[in-house]
Amino acid sequence: MDKKMEALMKEYNDIPIPSQLDFVVKKALKQKPKKRIMTKVAVGLAAAAAIFIGGINSSQTFAMTMADVPVLKNVVKVLTFREYKVDEETFHADIKVPAINNLDNKELQSTLNQKYLKESEELYQDFQADMKDLKESGGGHLGIENGYEVKTDTDQLLSIGRYTVNTVGSSSTTFHFDTIDKKNKLLITLPSLFKNDAYVDLISNEIKKQMITQMEQDSDLTYWVKNPNKEDNDPLDTFEKIKPDQNFYINEHNKLVISFDKYEVAPGYMGIVEFVIPTDVLKDALVSDEYIK
Amino acid sequence: MNKKDQEELLAEFVLENKEKFYRLAYSYVKNEEDALDIIQESIHKALKGIHTLENSQALKSWFFRIVVNTSLDLLRKKKKEMVVDDDTIEFFSPKKNDTYENVDLTRFLNELPEKYRIVIILKFFEDLKIREIAEVLNEKENTIKTRLYKGLKMLRIEMKDISYMGG
Repeated sequence: MDKKMEALMKEYNDIPIPSQLDFVVKKALKQKPKKRIMTKVAVGLAAAAAIFIGGINSSQTFAMTMADVPVLKNVVKVLTFREYKVDEETFHADIKVPAINNLDNKELQSTLNQKYLKESEELYQDFQADMKDLKESGGGHLGIENGYEVKTDTDQLLSIGRYTVNTVGSSSTTFHFDTIDKKNKLLITLPSLFKNDAYVDLISNEIKKQMITQMEQDSDLTYWVKNPNKEDNDPLDTFEKIKPDQNFYINEHNKLVISFDKYEVAPGYMGIVEFVIPTDVLKDALVSDEYIK
Repeated sequence: MNKKDQEELLAEFVLENKEKFYRLAYSYVKNEEDALDIIQESIHKALKGIHTLENSQALKSWFFRIVVNTSLDLLRKKKKEMVVDDDTIEFFSPKKNDTYENVDLTRFLNELPEKYRIVIILKFFEDLKIREIAEVLNEKENTIKTRLYKGLKMLRIEMKDISYMGG
């Protein structure tokens, strides 16, 4: 072979392989879309609220912690209940567990709070396990940050988004939302807002339309969607439909917002993407205009 | 083939060839952090899309294609973030290791327009067949051959045996 080619090939093969590569690959391969815990909770609530009463009673520490917090009468609040931290040279974890306080529906409050605590504990355990793996395979950087954001807090609605940022060389972020009707003390699920399944297509079509419009206006944006106006557009994995229990919240203007995690419908650099769905698109399918206007 | 088998096949394939994919990603972004990001994202995409892959024979070019597209996506983002003059880019770019003997030559490969650079990498460094490169880049085989000739010409590399390129 040509000498120059040999030299080029040598340089290419000399690109150093970081010790973290194996870990990053294995970790990514393990990460399969997790089943949404939210659906289970929502179904459980309707069917068997009674089961959770036991939960409140048995959670003594929890009840006591809540009692220590100065309480504003009748104001539903979200506060940090517990925090897990790891702070070693290359390992960082900061997991904040939110707790909802002062919700009249104690079963709902307790269910959500226990769900948050359980998920946070699992995150922390997973992090510990990964840290051990990575230490054994020669070390590297690993980080996790978990927290929450109150997206909407009106007289009627409370939307809390909990996020997890995983850093293994690079980062991935996931968001989970819970939206609560404070007046009627209900956890709102996406299907519960609509008369029937038709909402899946209505919302999906609207999102596809918005994706295409955005990409046409700004060539730096990329969504994995098939654009009927462009021939050469051939994404590998196209967005077809939202999941029936797709992540969502209701914003302070009473508009439905659909949220997608990093990598869900767009390349990683787009991060978390959100679409506000105009109420006109939905109005015939909505059960009522109580939440979404 | 069922989904589980496909996922296992993918996992095995990726683990076995991870260094190849890493080098390819690195050759685009020239830094470790972004290259790892590309690998991570490519695996995410592959796991999500594996069910669309009908023929497991095509796995190799399919995955290379994901890595190439993900790398290009990231470069596009970088371009968006950094609108600075070339000197600044030069200044902040990771420095080439000065001990390379063929520093002019290697710089030359990096300066080759992307469409020529990638076919040379895939053909000569990753040993892909012309047909496979065509699949990776979603182009016709003849287009790939043309780019190979032109790319080599720009590098002033002469391949004595033309059939060597044919595969």
